[in-house]
Amino acid sequence: MTPADLMTALPEIALAAWAVGALLVGAWFGQDRIAAPIMWGTAALFLVMAMWVGLSPAGSRMAFNGLFINDAFARFAKIVILASAAAVMVMGQDYLTKRDLMRFEYPILITLATLGMLLMVSASDLIALYMGLELQSLALYVIAAMRRDSVKSTEAGLKYFILGSLASGTLLYGASITYGYAGTTQFAGILSTIADGDMPLGLLVGLVFLLAGLAFKISAVPFHMWTPDVYEGAPTPVTAFFATAPKVAAVILLTRLVHDAFGSVPGDWGQIVAFLAVASMFLGSITALAQSDIKRLMAYSSIAHMGFAMVGLAAGTAIGVQATMVYMAIYVVMNIGTFAFILGMERGGRHITEIASLNLYSRREPAKALALLILMFSMAGVPPLLGFFGKFGVLRAAVDADMTWLAIAGVLASVIGAYYYLRIVYLMYFGEEGEPLDGKMAPVPLVLLGASAVIMVVGVINLFGIEPFATTAATALVN
Amino acid sequence: MAEDTDPNAPWITFAGIAPAAITAALFVWFLGHAPTIAAGGSIRWAWDWIPSLQVTLSFWLDGLSLMFALLITGIGALVMLYAARYLAGHKQFARFALYLFLFMLSMLGLVLADNLIALFVFWELTTFTSYLLIGFSHADPKSRRNALQALLLTAAGGLALLAGFILLGLTQGTFEISVLNAGGSLAGSAWYLPILILVLLGAFTKSAQVPFHFWLPNAMAAPTPVSAYLHSATMVKAGIYLLARMHPSLSGSEVWLWTLTLFGGVTTVFASIMALRQIDLKQTLAYTTLMALGTLTMLLGGSSGYAITGAMAFLFVHSLYKAALFLTIGLVDHATGTRDADVLGGLARVMPITALAAALAALSMAGIPPFLGFIAKEVAYSGATGSPLWPLVILLALAANALMVAVAAIVAWRPFFGPQGRLPRVPHEGPWAMLLGPVILAVLGLAFGLLPGLAALIIEPAVNAVMGTPDTGGRLKLWAGFNLPLLLSVVTLALGAVLYLRHQTLRERIARLEARGPDFDAGWDRLLEHFMAVAKGQTRIIQTGRLRDYMFVTFGVLLAAIVSGLLARNVGGLELALAGLSVREWGVAGLIVAGTVATLLTSSRVTAIVALGVVGIGVALIFIIYSAPDVAITQLLVELLIVVLFAVAALKLPMLDREGVQRHRPLDAVLAVGVGAATTVVLMLVTQAPFDRRLTEFFEASSYPDAHGRNIVNVILVDFRTLDTFGEIAVVVVAALGAYALLKGGRSLVRRSGDAAEEENK
Repeated sequence: MTPADLMTALPEIALAAWAVGALLVGAWFGQDRIAAPIMWGTAALFLVMAMWVGLSPAGSRMAFNGLFINDAFARFAKIVILASAAAVMVMGQDYLTKRDLMRFEYPILITLATLGMLLMVSASDLIALYMGLELQSLALYVIAAMRRDSVKSTEAGLKYFILGSLASGTLLYGASITYGYAGTTQFAGILSTIADGDMPLGLLVGLVFLLAGLAFKISAVPFHMWTPDVYEGAPTPVTAFFATAPKVAAVILLTRLVHDAFGSVPGDWGQIVAFLAVASMFLGSITALAQSDIKRLMAYSSIAHMGFAMVGLAAGTAIGVQATMVYMAIYVVMNIGTFAFILGMERGGRHITEIASLNLYSRREPAKALALLILMFSMAGVPPLLGFFGKFGVLRAAVDADMTWLAIAGVLASVIGAYYYLRIVYLMYFGEEGEPLDGKMAPVPLVLLGASAVIMVVGVINLFGIEPFATTAATALVN
Repeated sequence: MAEDTDPNAPWITFAGIAPAAITAALFVWFLGHAPTIAAGGSIRWAWDWIPSLQVTLSFWLDGLSLMFALLITGIGALVMLYAARYLAGHKQFARFALYLFLFMLSMLGLVLADNLIALFVFWELTTFTSYLLIGFSHADPKSRRNALQALLLTAAGGLALLAGFILLGLTQGTFEISVLNAGGSLAGSAWYLPILILVLLGAFTKSAQVPFHFWLPNAMAAPTPVSAYLHSATMVKAGIYLLARMHPSLSGSEVWLWTLTLFGGVTTVFASIMALRQIDLKQTLAYTTLMALGTLTMLLGGSSGYAITGAMAFLFVHSLYKAALFLTIGLVDHATGTRDADVLGGLARVMPITALAAALAALSMAGIPPFLGFIAKEVAYSGATGSPLWPLVILLALAANALMVAVAAIVAWRPFFGPQGRLPRVPHEGPWAMLLGPVILAVLGLAFGLLPGLAALIIEPAVNAVMGTPDTGGRLKLWAGFNLPLLLSVVTLALGAVLYLRHQTLRERIARLEARGPDFDAGWDRLLEHFMAVAKGQTRIIQTGRLRDYMFVTFGVLLAAIVSGLLARNVGGLELALAGLSVREWGVAGLIVAGTVATLLTSSRVTAIVALGVVGIGVALIFIIYSAPDVAITQLLVELLIVVLFAVAALKLPMLDREGVQRHRPLDAVLAVGVGAATTVVLMLVTQAPFDRRLTEFFEASSYPDAHGRNIVNVILVDFRTLDTFGEIAVVVVAALGAYALLKGGRSLVRRSGDAAEEENK
């Protein structure tokens, strides 16, 4: 461990120190009234670290004897993760305070989960990967079940924990088999044993188990089943968190694993990822049609979106990786906006998540309805909104990699998917009279809702210049 | 509409006049470019948009786009003026005017875009703005449903189009249409067929070809000015525009010829017959629009100069007279309160100007000389005779044109010159703002017919653009001499007259026929219902909410993945070296199996935990046998700890009903055995591979020299991995502290969550 190592992992170390320090302070005072200061402090730290990462010099740096890598790819992901985690965390403050759920542990657990994610995207070794993943997962298990007095929330947390442990076990099993065959846990080492493009059976089995474990984390079909239950059962701010940063981290981790450790055999994992992508896109889109709860709908929507992100990954090219990264960045912004809206859905002080409650919403709240309309259109991939360019990018990458069938499947799925997003718009603008929502949105969610809607529109000018960023990141990974 | 509008409200408002004025200015601007374009030039503007995705925002003004731009802005300005008066005093008129203006801009973008992706963006924008327009009077549930139907169908087609465009752009290396078209036909390309199918799906849904036609008549729920605009020059012509635009690249194959001719032909005939059947005049016109779209598609199937000239001339004249007719029907509706063909009659006396406009437009539609409609029909017939599939095309065109004559008479003759009917309201002549549009458009039909050279200035550059060469072959003439097309025209008129005279009886017959035929509209509803049913059923089956089912699926998928992996690699020959095992090893194996069986069979939770502990100890024994005492000790400790902790926790948990679980046990057993067997096979395969001895050799070689220890395991624990060991100890300490804190603080936690529960119930 050298000072250089410590500098390379500075954001992670800062987050860990902050989490421990905040925990001590919280435990010492034992009061939840310091929860809000801790939360805002955490958000500020996240943003500072995101800036630090953004301004750090270019190039790839390895630390801790090749366990930890800091390259353009990781930096891109870290900025997205840190910024979105900060936004989602502060967005839920009002909701949590109103419902007496604002515990001082909440921001600390979010910090630990985020730390896990940062480690995940920088892992260049199976053990480091597992450590990051578990740090993230354990923190998430706890916040999923944060509302212990609600049976639904507890059940969701328990289900998530058991299935999540199963997935972690699967992943670990895959890692040990891979180690057994490759004789190393480092990605570069694994890659060197299959450099000739012919993968031994043991590695293939290991890869299958690894992918199954990661598929669970990004809720890809058929390992998605926890998602709707947990999304519905968890408190809405937690659901919003689940839908954003952890998804980015898991997709990025998956991308790094397949490229860094198995990059010479794209055919082997490409098929598996393509299968997961198609299954997720279709099941997510079709099942979403039948939902009447907006949180469940968002669960299926995220499943479908992960499918699209994996289309880019399945292409196995630098263009594909770049498309996936851009897709994830856009996805996160859309989800932050949508969940900001969902947080404010209230009637008589009660949180309402039925889609039917949005009937004729545009008559009472034209501005918010317009913002949600933009977000829904963007999610559906309606041009010229930003969501369209995300979809366009991954489909183009698939065609470019001679996987036209995958692109066509993606198009079909997005046709189906468009229907349920449009249904929300339809209800808001052309619905029938029903019991209206009457809650007022807190300022932070309101600002985030407006900002993400504006981004969806203004972003089409040049995608905010994240394109070249993503290109550098993708070429750092695939070469 | 009537209840929302106030006829006395001032209609000259900003929202009423500004869009019309801007659109008119655009029209003049485009007209200013006409001489350049007629001289064979073209103009291109381009900006980089998203370079890495090869998306540029480029516009290209050539003959084809100029013709469309003129129609869009010209008719647009007139329709906007008309709408300002038609919807005067409507509460949400400003919104309507905005939608209409945005729609006009999207449509303009569509016909001017040179980049495939930019074109697609505008294509979808027209879909969504027209959705807002069709669903404008949304108090009416039918209107909303129809708007959604139009949206879903065209959006689905649009996405197919996008896929086609992506394929096209990537296989050809450019997304610029002008470059693509300059490259000639792609019929030889390996990707031609998928590209063609996808592009045609987009064009056919947008331009409402059978079997995607049903949304168009339904979209008539829109206010009349919208119908006039969308169904004459714009929305539905977008598909036709696309076919014409991509003609140089995609035509020139048998598939193109047959597909377009057949789809266009079937649409034409179907729509003509359905037009006769309608009673609502607006519906009648909707079906004639469908018929025109069919004819245009059919003509674009050909590649001869006559066919293309016919298509372009017909497109031009159809836009003029169809907009005029829609607008006059709007006037009639406005004045009388009905659009029922059986009721309307004798309006010419009270509404002379409307009647004149309707008559002129209808004559053009019927193809009577000297109207432009006649010339267009003649050229179209010439194109038909030159088609490789000429008998079919002529027959279809003849039938369609004859029916068109009959429909023209139904729309323009009876309401104005027929016997007086019983009207719901006393009719009056319309205001000038509403008369201006239909009159100008109808008179243009006559003027262009008398001066075909003037029409040629607009139509011929369009033909050149589609053909890709300046040599057109088809000329616009009022008198082309005695030839086959003229003969066909005569036959058409005679046939049309007969059809008109018999149309009352025909209508009843068609209605009976229709009742027996397939109902596409209801089919669409059923399709959506099926879809929802599938979605619901799937949720019920997959998303049961039961953890057991989720685990079952997870393990099932893993098993399938492993087995298919093994099968794909075709693994053979597994050796089981059982002979070398001693009694000791057999004993341990027996212990593990016995523990497993006991776990499965017992009904007591504590017994199950203890039995599972036995399995763990068996594994620890194996570690001892294979000389890994450190691992064995860890395993033993962990196992004991888990059993004790779990037993303590389990004693406090309520007992569960086991009855529900029994039902699944056989299936669970099968899956468990399967996963176990597969894992065993994998493990055996893994151990068959040569063992990587690098680490072992390193420790063997360096234990004594570096750490002065003869026990390698000890050396590893306390020397080579000191920090690990230290960490492990720390973990145990932290865990112990945590357990202590939990046990001690349990009471206060219970109290706190109790308070929270109360809060929640409030």
